[in-house]
Amino acid sequence: MTIDKNYRCKVRTPDDFDEFWGGVMSDVAAIPMNTTIEKDDLRSNEEVDVYQVFYDSLDNLRVSGWYAVPKGATGKLPAMIQFPGYLSDPMIPREWAAKGYACFSVNPRGKVRSRTQFDPGYPGLLTFGIVDKNSYSYRGFYVDAWRSVDFLLERPEVDASRIGGVGGSQGGGLAITAAAMRKEIRAVSISAPYLCGHMDAIELSHTYPYDEINDYLETYPERRKDVEETVAYFDGISFADKVTCPVIVNIGLQDNVVPPETGYAVYNAMSSKDKMFYEYDGHGHEAGKYIHGAIIDEFFETHLKGGE
Amino acid sequence: MTAQKPENFDAFWNYVDEDLSGIPLAPEIEPIPIRSNANADLYGVRITSVGPYRLFGYLSIPKGEGQFPAIFYTPKNGSVHEVIPQGTATAMRKRYVTFSIAARGMRNSDKPYAAMFPGQLTDGLESLDTYVYRGIVADTLRGLDYLVTRPEVDLSRIVAWGNDNALLVAARRSSITHVVSTPAYLLDTIEHALKTSSYPLAEFSDYLRLYPERKDDVVATLEMYNLRWHAESIKAETLIKADHATGIYNPGVLEVLESGIAGNVTVHESERSSSRDGLNGEKWLTANLIGADAELIIPEHWENHPQ
Repeated sequence: MTIDKNYRCKVRTPDDFDEFWGGVMSDVAAIPMNTTIEKDDLRSNEEVDVYQVFYDSLDNLRVSGWYAVPKGATGKLPAMIQFPGYLSDPMIPREWAAKGYACFSVNPRGKVRSRTQFDPGYPGLLTFGIVDKNSYSYRGFYVDAWRSVDFLLERPEVDASRIGGVGGSQGGGLAITAAAMRKEIRAVSISAPYLCGHMDAIELSHTYPYDEINDYLETYPERRKDVEETVAYFDGISFADKVTCPVIVNIGLQDNVVPPETGYAVYNAMSSKDKMFYEYDGHGHEAGKYIHGAIIDEFFETHLKGGE
Repeated sequence: MTAQKPENFDAFWNYVDEDLSGIPLAPEIEPIPIRSNANADLYGVRITSVGPYRLFGYLSIPKGEGQFPAIFYTPKNGSVHEVIPQGTATAMRKRYVTFSIAARGMRNSDKPYAAMFPGQLTDGLESLDTYVYRGIVADTLRGLDYLVTRPEVDLSRIVAWGNDNALLVAARRSSITHVVSTPAYLLDTIEHALKTSSYPLAEFSDYLRLYPERKDDVVATLEMYNLRWHAESIKAETLIKADHATGIYNPGVLEVLESGIAGNVTVHESERSSSRDGLNGEKWLTANLIGADAELIIPEHWENHPQ
C-alpha cells in the first residue's frame, strides 16, 4: 500500500470543543492536588534520585507517577514530562534525569499504580464509556496527564519556563493534547502519535489497540454516530491547532499499530511555526527511535537548555 | 562464566511438575462476544495453578471445522495481559488457535496478588523458596496443560511465543513443537544486569544496590531459572530474536543458547526496526507451521516494506 502524505482524517473539531474542555478544566481546578512525594531508595542510583508521587485529579481520583532528578543538582532545572504508551507500564525516567532534567513520568488512571479506583483493563480502556464525551475514559485520563504540569510547578527545583513533553504512541497523543492545553509546555517531541484520527485508523489497519473500536462497533453498530461524536472531542487532530510551541514528530512508514497516514494528518494540523517532521521508511511502531533519539536530545538541548 | 548448574536443579523442577499434577485444572470457560468476530470466537478461561492460584487466559478459536495450529503466548514481564500482542494482524486468529495466559500478578490474574512493574522480577528474590518466579513458571506450564486439552488444537503444531518464558515452557514440556523467543532477563541474569540501567534487567541491579549482602543468595536462586541450564531440554524448532549487536542479549551472548538448544535454532539479530523484526518472525512462523509457500498474514502497513 502507498502512504498518502496529504491524508486528511474525517474528524472535525466539535463546535463546543472549547466549552467542553473549559468545563472539565474548571472542574479539576477546584480539586486540590494533595501531592505526596516519597524517595524510592530501591529505584534511585548513583546518578539519579527517584521519587514516588501521588496527586488528586478529576473525580477525586488518585494518580501516581515517577519523578527523577539528577543527584546533587543545584539551581533551577529544565523539566520534562514523559507520557506513557497504551500497554506498557510507565517508565521510571532515570535516563532523562541523567541528562540533567527533572523528569516526571505520569501514570494516568487505569495504569499500574493508578488503578485502585478505575480499571477498565486492556483491552477495554479505549472504548470505556465511549458513547458520550462525559463518560469516556479519556476525559479523566487526559486530565491526569495534563496535571503533571501542576506537579512540576510545585517543585522548587524546576524552572517553570523550561518544561518539555515527550512521548511515543499513546504518549505521543497525550503530548499533543498536553501541549495544546498547557502553555507551560515549551517544546514537545511526539513519536508515532496514537489517538489521532481514530475513525480513519480503524479502517487503515486492523490490529489492536485500535481494533478495540472495531470490536465495539461490530457489537453495537447502532452506536456508531455516538462513538464518532465522542472521539472527536478527544482526537489529537482536534487539539492540533492549539499546539504552538516548537514540536518535532517522527513516524515509521511501516507502523502496524498507528497508521502513518494519521501521523501526517495531525502534523499538518498543528499551528506551530517551529515544527519538523521525520519519516522513517523501513520502520514500524518504534518510528526509527534508534536513529531519532539523538534528534530528540538535540531538540530539547536547544529549546530547554539553550542558555546553558 | 563461573556459574554452575545447581545440584538440585532436576529435583526442583520435578517438584514443580509434581506440585502441578496434584492440582486439578478446574477450567471455567465463558464466551467474550465483543472480541469474537467472523474469523474467530474468543473465550475467557480460568484455571488453577500451584498455590492454589486461579489464573485467567484469553482463548481464541478459529471459526470452522478442523484442528488448527496453536500459538501459546507466554506471560511477559508487564502488567497488561493481551488477547494477541499489540500490532499483530487480528486476522491471524482465523488461522491459529491462540491462548494467552496471565501469570499471577498480571492483570486478570491479580487477585489476590497484584505485582508491581517494575518489582515483579525481584519479589521474594532473597531465597529459592520465596521467589515469585517459581509460581510464574508454574503458571506458564499450567496454561499449556490447558491448551493441549482443547480438541481444536493440532498437537503437532504448537508454538510458544514470548520472552524467556517461551523457552522455559519448551524446556519443560515436549508438547511445544516450535518456539519464538526474545530472551530478556533469564540468561546469566546478574552478569548482564550489572552492565545496564535499563529495565527489566535493571530490576536486579536495583535490588543488589540496596541489598548487596544478598548477592550470593540471589545468584543461587536465579541459577535455577538460567536459560543456559534449560537449553539442552529444548527439542523444539526454535527462532531466537536477538538484540542488535550493541544490545545486551546480542547474537554473541546468545550463542550459548544457539549451541545448547537440542532442536534446530535460527537466530535473528534485531535490525532495530520493529517492522523488519516483526516481519521476519511472521515469515518464520508461517514457513514452519503452515508451509513455505503459504500466504503471510501481516498488518496492512508491512505490505509496502522496502527490501
